[in-house]
Amino acid sequence: MNKFASSLPAAALVLLLVGCQNVNTYENAESRATPNYVADKRVITDNTLAGAVRVVSINQATVSGNLLKIQATVENLKSSARTVNYKFEWFDQDGMAVNSPNEVWKALPLQGRESTTISTVAISPKAVDFKLKFRE
Amino acid sequence: MKQTVMSKKITGLLAVGALLALTGCETPTETRTVDSRGPDTINTSAINTQDWSNAADQLLASLLSSEALTNAPRTPAILAVDRIINNTSLMIDTDLLIKKIRVGLTQTGKVAVTNTLGLGERAVVASEAAELEEMQSGKKQKTLVPDYTLYAKLIQQTDRNSKLTQNTYSFQMSLVQVKTGLTVWEDEKQITKQTKAKPALGW
Repeated sequence: MNKFASSLPAAALVLLLVGCQNVNTYENAESRATPNYVADKRVITDNTLAGAVRVVSINQATVSGNLLKIQATVENLKSSARTVNYKFEWFDQDGMAVNSPNEVWKALPLQGRESTTISTVAISPKAVDFKLKFRE
Repeated sequence: MKQTVMSKKITGLLAVGALLALTGCETPTETRTVDSRGPDTINTSAINTQDWSNAADQLLASLLSSEALTNAPRTPAILAVDRIINNTSLMIDTDLLIKKIRVGLTQTGKVAVTNTLGLGERAVVASEAAELEEMQSGKKQKTLVPDYTLYAKLIQQTDRNSKLTQNTYSFQMSLVQVKTGLTVWEDEKQITKQTKAKPALGW
């Protein structure tokens, strides 16, 4: 029993060291960028996922003249590395889905406490709205 | 008494055997349809459906974000598909990548892909129809000279240690302006896959 008890702190330390591969981030204090943020509506059906990975912000821009580009900043709220899947979907003025052969579920590996960006460009000028989906 | 117990055991065994046999007959194979663009597709050390779409989407997004096509001399700009070099160990049809890029570019309305020039997909019937038109009208058909050519290369790098095999697939793509011969856009996307080594003995 004594041996078991004495090995517990060591095991906990190992677990702590293995689990903590967090990312430290540094950036300029006064950002020069002026992103066009999108006011987003969120539908959460997986609370565990929402508690682990958070969409910090979504901003949009127009590229190649008339194509919508969306960028989302995603943050891992946990100290352990994890991989989530995400997918963008596009919709036209009438709310009809604009199918794109390349909009697939993509794997996003995130380090502990890491914040990163994901983005995509609509291949049709008809695309005016988007949906961003996440799943484990 | 002993005989009763024995016969019960035999009956039980027969019932289990029959159940196993019946179950076995009902499920020789199990196939289900999955979303070919979803995370349920089989992940292997090779390039799977999701990887092709992922690479095509990233390259397309990079090309469209670069504004390289904004300065095209006409809309839609004429694009010819140049060589697609496969330097991987995989026997693959490079159209798995190129077709997705072509579809994406065509849907933007900014590019029209020529099928009578280049090493890409050739439209045989279209060429024959053009020849027929020439023959019947007596006028030489004017073939549009491409404004851009698209060149791509697939490279595989394999690294191993005692536990893992790592395959990195690089998808390199360049857009060349025909008039100047200059590369107006190029990018490289990589997908890395790690596979655990199998134990020396399988049991």
